Amino acid sequence: MAKDTKVKVKGPKQKFNATYLKRYWQLYFLLALPIIYLIIFKYIPMRYIVIAFKDYKLNMPLMKMPWAQVKKDGAMVTDALKYFKDAFSKPDFRRAIFNTLKLNMLDLICGFPAPIIFALILNELCFKRFKKVVQTIAYMPHFLSWVIIATLVIRVFGPTDGMINMVITKFGGETIPFIDDPSHWVGTYVTAGVWQSFGWGSIIYLASIAGINTELYEAASVDGAGRFRKMWHITLPGIRPTIVVLLIMNLGGIMGGGFERPFAMKNNLVMDVAEVISTFVYKVGIQQLKFSFTTAVGLFQSVVGLVFLLTANFISRRLGERGIW
Amino acid sequence: MKKKLLTVILAATMVLSLVACGDKKTSTSTPASASKTSTSVSKADDKKADEPDARGMLNGKFVEKRSISVECYDRNVSEGTEASNNAWTKWIQDQMLERYNVEVTFVPVSRWTEKEDVSALLAAQNAPDICYTYGYEIVQSYAQMGGVIDLKPLLDENRDLLNNMFDWLGESVIYQDLDPATGTLWAIEGKRNETARINTFVRKDWLDKLGIAVPTTKAEFEAMLVKFKENAETLLGADAARMVPFSMSSDVGWRAANIIESFMDPDITDKELYVNGYDDRKFTENGTKEAIRLLNKWYNEGLIWKDFAIQATDSTAEDDMIKAGFVGAFMHNYDYPFRGDVNSINYTLASLVEGGKFIAVNCFEDKNGKYTKYSYSNTGDRKAFFPATNDEPVASLCYLEFMSDPSVVEFLQMGEEGVNHTVDAATGAWVYQQADEAHHDWYVNSGKNIDYTLNCNGLRLATPELTNLSLAYGYAEVDPADVKQAIEAAMLDARAPKTVSVGDINAETEGVDLATKRDTTFAKAITAAVADFDTVWDAGMAEYLQAGGQAIIDERKTAWEATYGTDTMLP
Repeated sequence: MAKDTKVKVKGPKQKFNATYLKRYWQLYFLLALPIIYLIIFKYIPMRYIVIAFKDYKLNMPLMKMPWAQVKKDGAMVTDALKYFKDAFSKPDFRRAIFNTLKLNMLDLICGFPAPIIFALILNELCFKRFKKVVQTIAYMPHFLSWVIIATLVIRVFGPTDGMINMVITKFGGETIPFIDDPSHWVGTYVTAGVWQSFGWGSIIYLASIAGINTELYEAASVDGAGRFRKMWHITLPGIRPTIVVLLIMNLGGIMGGGFERPFAMKNNLVMDVAEVISTFVYKVGIQQLKFSFTTAVGLFQSVVGLVFLLTANFISRRLGERGIW
Repeated sequence: MKKKLLTVILAATMVLSLVACGDKKTSTSTPASASKTSTSVSKADDKKADEPDARGMLNGKFVEKRSISVECYDRNVSEGTEASNNAWTKWIQDQMLERYNVEVTFVPVSRWTEKEDVSALLAAQNAPDICYTYGYEIVQSYAQMGGVIDLKPLLDENRDLLNNMFDWLGESVIYQDLDPATGTLWAIEGKRNETARINTFVRKDWLDKLGIAVPTTKAEFEAMLVKFKENAETLLGADAARMVPFSMSSDVGWRAANIIESFMDPDITDKELYVNGYDDRKFTENGTKEAIRLLNKWYNEGLIWKDFAIQATDSTAEDDMIKAGFVGAFMHNYDYPFRGDVNSINYTLASLVEGGKFIAVNCFEDKNGKYTKYSYSNTGDRKAFFPATNDEPVASLCYLEFMSDPSVVEFLQMGEEGVNHTVDAATGAWVYQQADEAHHDWYVNSGKNIDYTLNCNGLRLATPELTNLSLAYGYAEVDPADVKQAIEAAMLDARAPKTVSVGDINAETEGVDLATKRDTTFAKAITAAVADFDTVWDAGMAEYLQAGGQAIIDERKTAWEATYGTDTMLP
């Protein structure tokens, strides 16, 4: 983020020179710290990527670990891609990729427009007090951990003791398997995600709406535009850059996704649709100590994420929008 | 000027916070090999009487103070004390200092996710010096990466320090996990002093109310469940809708064990039991499918709790429901309704429902009409091991020795007279009681303080006679007759699996989460429509076997044949 704002204030391209550095040295000094942080905690650890190609040994320095070995005709042969081949030969892993893509896509489709719509609606409210209250209530779920939300979900959607199903059965209806049937579970999962994040996600859009010149609205009113016309022709175009940047960043995470949410919400009946890469990596990598294997999986995941990000950025620039850099 | 000052302050705070984050000691991984060499120097050198030996010990006590960290299970008991800091841990710490000059710190690990948590600690190279777990595969996986200390040479060199441990566990348990091929010993198994395992419990007051006799067969048990359901109005009144005739959790293999084991062939060979024994929930045993078919039928008739598969492992929802009196029957650890003093199921139930009480019953007959079930083997329980990050292996061994001392175990299990136990005047039995408010720091968080007595599971008092006498008195607020009845029920026709020692099975560390595949299959098969049962079960089983289950079975078979030849029964 810090870099982003920097780009904005820089304005027209300027040649880097010592005077400039000297004049604004405080700013550069401040910038240096996050950069050092990134180098130490994000870039230096990257050398451990080689674990994906080696047989991980705890009692050996990284460089001395042997390259991954496979048994071939009774002898051990070096095959650095062993763990990648391993991963793709596992049906569990293929299923995890599919589920990750599926759940993230659904999240994107349902979860991405929600905060935009919410911000637009909030913006139209003229009663300030009410707006503040609604806003605060909408932010709240963001601060709940997924463990708590998962418990709430069981309480509300559970088959026997769930609030909704209790009401349904009270009126003589059939229980709806919100969390114990795979396809229903996906819906519940996505809904919970939207509920948790739409309020918080709307902040950035509200900020961006606040930056739109009010004269535009006044001019539109004079021209006789109604609310929807103003929304469509002024507000939405006004926040378009923000939408595009966020969309690109979301696309970059299409192969990733958090761990907590699927892990807390899964149960044995929906495992087939709930197992995603992050939970798979946790189970196999951390719990069963297959570090090389999961590093390979993680590397694959990151590379795919990067490809998505670059493609989205490229397309957006082609369409005349600003990319993220 | 002001701006400059602000900049400097901001920058300084950021630098400081960075330094503070990165300051954790990073050199935890190296000392294992170094310390091993230091202990391998023979201690029998011509040492003088008042000089410490090569281990730094004089008369069995370290001359210089050593520090070790020890894992302890944390059950997060709401009324209890902090698992790693209470009167018991302080007592252990004092005793260890006094006896060995070893300073002990405790590292709490959640009981219900202990395997996962221990793995995470090991992976982070952050594990305590002494770890214990029920999952040998963790130890084995970690050992393959060089992350665990080989205990064989350590035991050989320090045998003189370990008399109590060898007395208590015996060579056969201590070397149970010794690999015959490589001669390595990664973990020392603990021992069970009580082997009763799983019981079926039913609501006695409901039986009485409906005039049903205590069920003694599967058919009678089923008829009882149906009666409970039909009479929900009578039994629960306004809460009739909450009636659950039979409840389970997602751990079906445990919570339906009596049923599953009754469907197994009672004449099964030791070999077959072992070959299928990787899965202690008996997933691949010969009768399990039919047992689950029965559960599937019950589920579809509405006799089983609908939520069983969706609750988290450590959720208390089911227990709360049982305590509230909505459940007619369940299966669990043989003493489950008695555990937890005033929070125990039976105690809570009795206070909410007049006469409410669960009793243990036997009603799952095998094909010979006996109640065959599996008890625990008394050899082999939790496995204690030292991660390679342990730089005090000798001091750690001293801790295992300390925990094998009968007087230590006795104190940890029963505490001081008047505080944690009284002596029954008539029988002489020790009667356990939970510490009262005034002695809250002596609160027992886990039954018999099992979370501290890491190589002993079950009551172990100074003499076996006293232990036997006191067994039924081990629960506060419970009638000893109920406990006695539960133990007898659990031991009726019970078979203890024999200890098989054939070395490590490599396929067991293949990195597939078979337990989840098993539980998923259990859950899906039980909740399937009756007509789909076979398809769902067979698909789940095929996936389990294909994902690594079959490889384990094959390797176990080979290992058995390599050790015992054509014998199918152990002596």
